[in-house]
Amino acid sequence: MIMQPYLEKLTDYVDALAAMKEVIIANVVLLGQVPAPTFREQQRSNLFLERLAGFNVDECTADGYQNPIGIIRGSAREKPPIFVVAHMDTLFSEDINHNFAVKRDTISGPGLLDNAVGVGALASLPEIFNRLELKFESDIVLAGVIQSIGKGNLRGIRHLLKTWPTPIRGAVILEGGELGRLSYYSSGMIRAEIKCAGLSASGMEPLFRQNAILVLNEVINQILLLKMPQRPRSRVIFGKITGGHKHGWIAYDATLGFEIQSDSDAMVRQIYEDIKDIVEGIRYERGVELTLNTISNLHAAKLRYGHPLVKSVMEIMKVLELKTVSSPSESELSIFLAHNIPAVTLGISRGKNYHLKGSTMEILPMFKGLAQIIGVIQAIDQGVCDGT
Amino acid sequence: MAPNWLETNTFHHSEFADIQKLVEMKERNHHRISLCLPTLNEEKTIAKEILIIRSELMMRFPLVDEIVVVDSGSTDKTEETACAYGAEFYSAANILPKLGHYKGKGENLWKALYVTRGDIIVYLDADIKNIHHRFAYGLLGPLLMNTGIKYCKAFYDRPIAIGQSKMRATGGGRVTELVIRPLFSLFFPELTQIIQPLSGEYAAFRELLEKIPFPIGYGVETSMIMDIYTKWGLDVIGQVDLDRRVHRNQDTKALGRMAFAIMKTFINRKVQLGLIELKEKLYSEMIQYNLVKNEYVPDIYRIEGIERPPMMEIPAYREKFAER
Repeated sequence: MIMQPYLEKLTDYVDALAAMKEVIIANVVLLGQVPAPTFREQQRSNLFLERLAGFNVDECTADGYQNPIGIIRGSAREKPPIFVVAHMDTLFSEDINHNFAVKRDTISGPGLLDNAVGVGALASLPEIFNRLELKFESDIVLAGVIQSIGKGNLRGIRHLLKTWPTPIRGAVILEGGELGRLSYYSSGMIRAEIKCAGLSASGMEPLFRQNAILVLNEVINQILLLKMPQRPRSRVIFGKITGGHKHGWIAYDATLGFEIQSDSDAMVRQIYEDIKDIVEGIRYERGVELTLNTISNLHAAKLRYGHPLVKSVMEIMKVLELKTVSSPSESELSIFLAHNIPAVTLGISRGKNYHLKGSTMEILPMFKGLAQIIGVIQAIDQGVCDGT
Repeated sequence: MAPNWLETNTFHHSEFADIQKLVEMKERNHHRISLCLPTLNEEKTIAKEILIIRSELMMRFPLVDEIVVVDSGSTDKTEETACAYGAEFYSAANILPKLGHYKGKGENLWKALYVTRGDIIVYLDADIKNIHHRFAYGLLGPLLMNTGIKYCKAFYDRPIAIGQSKMRATGGGRVTELVIRPLFSLFFPELTQIIQPLSGEYAAFRELLEKIPFPIGYGVETSMIMDIYTKWGLDVIGQVDLDRRVHRNQDTKALGRMAFAIMKTFINRKVQLGLIELKEKLYSEMIQYNLVKNEYVPDIYRIEGIERPPMMEIPAYREKFAER
């Protein structure tokens, strides 16, 4: 078998990247320590642009939606650009202590794996290309996209792709973890909230009034009775629940956050309608204020398994001795795929406590994670996505 | 009182954010810059300090020439961590061993003069949780860009909320406001213009540092300011606003011991300068009390007030730096 040119130097890159660990970790830390809750990413975006400018990126700007973008000019003007993307926002508000702890082998801090590592890696790419003396035919667009997670509903990337004036050759989406992850398809998804509110009573606390938590419990029980098909693969994930005020008080408000995921958009819609009926039924029967609100939605989209980009990523991971794990990604990936742009989401390192304050990443695997990303960018630049 | 000093010798780090310009000034004047981190069990914060300084001020911009860690005998992974990120690590006890070893920050700073090679030395505490390279370039800026300033001291914002608005406080920490500022106001009113005289971050030319004595403990910052002021005047001193520093919190008793050491240093220095006369010797024990099983038990902390002489007086040092 002839080895593709983009595979030849991958293992050398791992050592070269380890030799510049200070610059990479400094980017992760300096950017990650700036709080960037969804809708308030401006400060981190400004620093991201400042870092890119400091690394002599050819063009540093923000698009009309304030997504910070750097463009490294390629040698062939006729080739469409390659996008490398990381979402800027995190789950943590400004009042959380964002100081990261760096040890010999690990880094820890809130929002580290989701997605300070991705943003730090993105900001490091210009210097990495420079040190490794890598040149590309395509322009490389380094896009930090805002308003991605939760109620952000991927607004940043939606706007960026909607307004981008040229075709796009391919894209790589960077996530902190998990190294070895290969996401090339997105499930159809509706993210929604069921809220039970307004059950407070004036004056004396009535002993037998409705309890918002029990109302939601009834909703959950009825959803669990819904029949989920094996094909198309479908599921409802209950991801978040809040409610009540005191241990000894009947809860007068409660909220349930959930996602419907399926390989089929029609099935997502069907399940959503079923849940809507459940909510309306309980609202009517119990006489409570129960609402169902959609937060975001995505269409199912995928690259086929045999797509040259998917095959290339698998070869790259094999050369780097990484075990590939395929998983769906309900993220920027789905927006690229919806625009018929070949794209994959990759993880950079290994870690734990992904979405907790103590999110921790191992440093050593990161160098393979970055080498894999360079390999994929080179593969796209050498044409694996062209004409697909 | 020099009325213009606060205006002319106070800077903000953002004035020196053009690091390339600082590098050019450094090269033009053939300076060599050392950064020293005194440590005692700092494994939690040391790595971040070293890697950010190395990344930003050594690899990207060649402003700092070396990072040296001088350690008081850490029992955690300070050494292993510092070395993993490329710093030179020294145990203070192994530097000039014939001169013995005392445990204390001042001892580390003094011995650092022997192992560092720079003609400008930046001292940063190793427990800065929100480390940023501005801590180093901000302190170096006035030394490199202003020919008169030879010693630059950090100060930070300590914003406090008042009603809906925020107000920028002008003071230092508790020990500064309760001990040092009253003492300076009583004896050296000009020095009250130094906003945070006890900050652990400062940079200075070796030619100054090698000519002053170093108390081995907490008093080192106080004595350094007093000695530089009395030898060279206020105009060689600058101060720079580094915005914000996240400190490690110390309890009141620890601050009490710090205050004791500082007052002792201050009074001793006044005596040495011939400015006051003591009729009795100062005691060397700070006595605090703990309530144990309904009884007050004294907790005695001995603070000798030992000082190292100016490094210039050490023959081994003079020999090592003879060429300079």
